[in-house]
Amino acid sequence: MQGYILNLLILVSISGILAASLNFIIGYAGIYSMAHAAFFGVAAYAGALIALHLSPSLLVAIPVAMALCAALSLVISLPSLRVRGEYFVVASLGLQMIAFTVFSEWKDVTGGIGGLTGVPIATLFGFQLRTLESMFAVSLSCLALTAFVIYALVHTSFGRSLKAIRDNEVAAASFGKNPIVIKTIAVAISTAFCGVAGVLYAFHISFVNPESFTVDQSVFIMSMIIIGGTGTVLGPILGALIIHLLPAGLTYLTFLPARDLASLQQIIYGAAMVLLMIYRPSGLIGRANVKDTWSR
Amino acid sequence: MKVWGKMTAPVLSLKGVNKRFGGVVAADDVDLDLPPGMITTLVGPNGAGKTTLFNLITGNLRPDSGAITLRGESLLGTDPRKSALRGIARSFQDLRLFEQMTVFENVLAVMERSALPWQPGGRAAARARRDKADAVLAQVGLTGWRNARAIDLGYAEQKFLSLARILVTDASLWLLDEPASGLDPASYDRFVTLVRGRLSEGVTICLIEHNLDIVQGISDRIAFLDQGAVLAAGEPRAILNDPKLAAIYFGERR
Repeated sequence: MQGYILNLLILVSISGILAASLNFIIGYAGIYSMAHAAFFGVAAYAGALIALHLSPSLLVAIPVAMALCAALSLVISLPSLRVRGEYFVVASLGLQMIAFTVFSEWKDVTGGIGGLTGVPIATLFGFQLRTLESMFAVSLSCLALTAFVIYALVHTSFGRSLKAIRDNEVAAASFGKNPIVIKTIAVAISTAFCGVAGVLYAFHISFVNPESFTVDQSVFIMSMIIIGGTGTVLGPILGALIIHLLPAGLTYLTFLPARDLASLQQIIYGAAMVLLMIYRPSGLIGRANVKDTWSR
Repeated sequence: MKVWGKMTAPVLSLKGVNKRFGGVVAADDVDLDLPPGMITTLVGPNGAGKTTLFNLITGNLRPDSGAITLRGESLLGTDPRKSALRGIARSFQDLRLFEQMTVFENVLAVMERSALPWQPGGRAAARARRDKADAVLAQVGLTGWRNARAIDLGYAEQKFLSLARILVTDASLWLLDEPASGLDPASYDRFVTLVRGRLSEGVTICLIEHNLDIVQGISDRIAFLDQGAVLAAGEPRAILNDPKLAAIYFGERR
């Protein structure tokens, strides 16, 4: 029982990192990426491969995965951020599709559909993270660190530049800002934090396969942000908590027929989203209330 | 008002500038000089190509032919960012504020040009930028709105915020697109005082305005545009009293 809850909390922490990092570009820069699950996957595979062949240390796997994700992000940033926002959505969707294909077809490296199994237990400073408690402590620390760095970044000049570009790119450029470079750096930072989540996930689940890194997962992460509140630091984390706890909570409602739980969950998700968009269009922690948002 | 005639080299100079959008002539062989320390106003009916000239100067648009020079150096091939770095500041008819940011952030952000996660100069420079932003907000009378979002301001306040973003830059050439339209008389006077005050500090201004009373009150020089061409340029009285130009402005086609 306690294991179940700890397991859930680790997943919430990992999802929180994903949501917070995606929110950094969606909420503060207005860059809508559909490829977050792809970067999550790249990092998870990288983490698993490093653990299997090189070292199970998080201090090796996490930096490498972060660098790899940031470098890979340039592949979509450089061609698409020069043009309008829609192109980035399309380019990132393309990368997401390609990544999934590579995960499932590059069998020599990724193990194909079956994935990579037997990822060893992670180590940190020589200690093995054998227990769920220790894994949770590490995941939560990573989430806290991610949230702190993003909070700090958005309150610096870099954050103001991002928001200025989000609000009016033409004006930002005509006051001397370089939107392409600033957005490219923002995407690289976002995907690097996504890399942290990927490595933690690979070690926690101890195996990776393509199924966890589909476009559905990208949408899932995006919905956490929308529910919690875009452009807020705590919103995405709250969103991750809700999205994970809702299905878990439903299983406790014993009067619900177990057979229909899955479809019921979908209906509740859908209804919650619609209600939220009506009454809290900027999410649960969103800044503007309904009146402010609709009066303009 | 300064005397037009004994002028030094122009700050900005356009020579034979052409721009077409398909069949529409947006700039037709435009020659225009902006003399230093003066306010030159572009006047003309809607669609005369006034904003297009701004866009050509700042590099939002590329001219098909012709030369644009800033203090003798070519501006051709520039883009909005580079022209900002060369000391051109611009306001927009539709203001283009950073709407979800606070009034203070709007002003602060335009001084932060580095793309890196930090700005040069460290803490001292950061403090200086904040102080400067607050000083400019006090000048334009927006101190009380400091922490409000730009989108929540009234129309006149938004106009002054747009002006504050220009004031806070160290730009030496200001291109202001209808900065005074819709201001009540008191606000308008405040606007004129603020803008005129900067001319003696080496700022040169080109602005677009439709209200002829305002044009007469604020301009040192006027350039009259119609259908992309500069029909006349010179002293305000001479231009405004020209019956042919008046006929064009008030709707009679040439």
